[in-house]
Amino acid sequence: MSVSYLDAINSALTEEMRRDPSVFIIGEDVGAMGGAFGATKGLLDEFGADRVIDSPLAEGIIVSASIGAAMAGLRPVPEIQFVDFITPAMDAITQQAAKLRYRSGGSQTCPLTLRVCYGGGTGGGLYHSQTDTTWFAHEPGLVVVAPATVSDAKGMLKAGIRQDDPVIYFEHKKLYRWPAIKEDLPEDDDFLADLFHCAVRRPGKDATIVTYGFMLQLALQAAEKIAEENGASVEVIDLRVLNPLDHDTILESVSRTGRLCIVQEDHRTLGIGSEIAATVAEQAFDCLDAPIVRVSAPDVPAIPAAEPLEQFYMPNVDKVMDALHRVLQY
Amino acid sequence: MATKVKEPAAAAAANENHHSAQSGNSLISNDKLKQLYSTMLKCRLLEERARILKKQARFKGNYYAAVGQEATAVGSVVDLRPEDTVAPSHRDFIANFIKGVPLTAMFSQLYGRSTSPDKGRSAPAHCGYAPLNIITPASTIAAQLNIGTGVALANQMKKNDNVVVAFSGEGSTSLGFWHEALNFAGVRNLPIVYVCQNNLWAESVSVKLQTKVDDISLKAIGYGFPGITVDGNDVVAVYRVAQEAIERARSGGGPTLIECKTYRWYGHSEIDPAKYRTAEEVEEWKAKDPIAAMERYLTGKGLFSSEWKQQISDEFAKELDAAVDVAEKTPQPEPIECLDYLYSFDIRERELNRKVYSPKF
Repeated sequence: MSVSYLDAINSALTEEMRRDPSVFIIGEDVGAMGGAFGATKGLLDEFGADRVIDSPLAEGIIVSASIGAAMAGLRPVPEIQFVDFITPAMDAITQQAAKLRYRSGGSQTCPLTLRVCYGGGTGGGLYHSQTDTTWFAHEPGLVVVAPATVSDAKGMLKAGIRQDDPVIYFEHKKLYRWPAIKEDLPEDDDFLADLFHCAVRRPGKDATIVTYGFMLQLALQAAEKIAEENGASVEVIDLRVLNPLDHDTILESVSRTGRLCIVQEDHRTLGIGSEIAATVAEQAFDCLDAPIVRVSAPDVPAIPAAEPLEQFYMPNVDKVMDALHRVLQY
Repeated sequence: MATKVKEPAAAAAANENHHSAQSGNSLISNDKLKQLYSTMLKCRLLEERARILKKQARFKGNYYAAVGQEATAVGSVVDLRPEDTVAPSHRDFIANFIKGVPLTAMFSQLYGRSTSPDKGRSAPAHCGYAPLNIITPASTIAAQLNIGTGVALANQMKKNDNVVVAFSGEGSTSLGFWHEALNFAGVRNLPIVYVCQNNLWAESVSVKLQTKVDDISLKAIGYGFPGITVDGNDVVAVYRVAQEAIERARSGGGPTLIECKTYRWYGHSEIDPAKYRTAEEVEEWKAKDPIAAMERYLTGKGLFSSEWKQQISDEFAKELDAAVDVAEKTPQPEPIECLDYLYSFDIRERELNRKVYSPKF
């Protein structure tokens, strides 16, 4: 049976909670309501209120109680309902979770998996559409992942829960029920995905697109369209992991194609694309046959609510096509 | 729900008269009274040594002495079990000693040595110790309360009877984090004791600019659990109140907020001359020295002699000498160790050997 991205998250949580009694969930509306989008549906009934905790409306304690519980040997899976609401938990995430192992010389650790719903294009307005992945990709000590496929949604969540590090798991709300990405997944309690490498989603030889999250859908459509248009062969790399970055897969691809286009939903300045562009410029300068091009949101605070403004903000297939034309024609 | 134990004499009298119905505690043994005193004395000696070493630039970084506040930490930590957790603030270096951390580990921490509990990473006074469940503190105020609250959640979920004692100053009560921690602990009825060391000054800012209430313990009413204000310079009073709160937490009775009214004799840190306070105020509080007060109390019970004090001081000075010696002779970490203990996996290779695809570079 083909399952959605949201089903994959729900089944990953269910399986890991069945497998390991130390796994528990804490967040706003995760219990009786089953999550704002239904990701934790059914878990309260199966595992009870001690393991599916409807927290007070306080993101700071959701994350920091998870840090303490993880220190004490449990495997918390806290949830932030919208990344737009994550800021009250920033001290907990960046100063505590990210630094606990380091500041204790490896003697104290907090393996937790923080699920964070993010992303725009759904008319959610300024405070239900943000991306903000870069804040965490910038923070050493965190493993930051952003699955773009159904099998990654499941496998990376299960692997994240078993990983002995604080993992931030970014799930794009537009992918939750996106029909085109539904997949058949095997019945396997140990269906785990790699947490360290990019994946080449479409091989190519003329240019490389590096992207992640929902933007992968745009990149794949643009690559297909340009192949039909002029036969250009565009390689599409799904970052999957935003921290620590897998530089080698990107560098190896660019060393073959000589052209790089980065597509991100986050703002332009100091986004993931900036780091990738700098890395390629430093470590593969001779390989480049054209300037690196970024397709990103503009440097405005977040996604405006009105449809024309949102459309201007969001990357789309046409914007990616324009970027590819520029890179390929240089 | 908030109650007060304001008079140190009252607490002492409660002990004398064995009013256990009120406190839930039995008579404190003479040995325990002497232990409370000797532990405070050692904490004082330890911190005065640390201050001298800092002034001599024998270690780098800063130090945040709790001299004058010893009764708050001794009274609430002295009887904890190894499995219990302490969540210290930046000024609770001595909580490590009270819980049983070896002096060699603590001085290696001050000196940032390769053998320090944090492998030379955090800061001299940010001492934690995993084997005894002492959380390595951060400088972001109140964070330890929240993490400690999470440990209490885990203890409750694991159905053990371990408790958490989380320290913070009165300044921390102004933060949202303080509220989130105490509110959550109240909602979940967690096994935790919050000890607020109200020393009247958050660095240079008076408590009058932190809160409008006279007693921080009143805030517990808003969280639905007991709050109590105690003379933080009366170690017997702090001990009795803490024992009651710890027992309540252990037996599933939920959290307690204890406000200890106390005073730090020195500045916020060793580089702070504390000119924002009047000399009169400092002298007034020095006259309330918790160690001298306990000396008088023990003398009244025939449990104190200056020879005994001298003996403790002499023996402990030798222990301090030995620990300082070990720290000074222990090497610093190797520079490359900067890259360690970030993740469960190694990043040295990734940081040091970046693959270059530009043949000319």
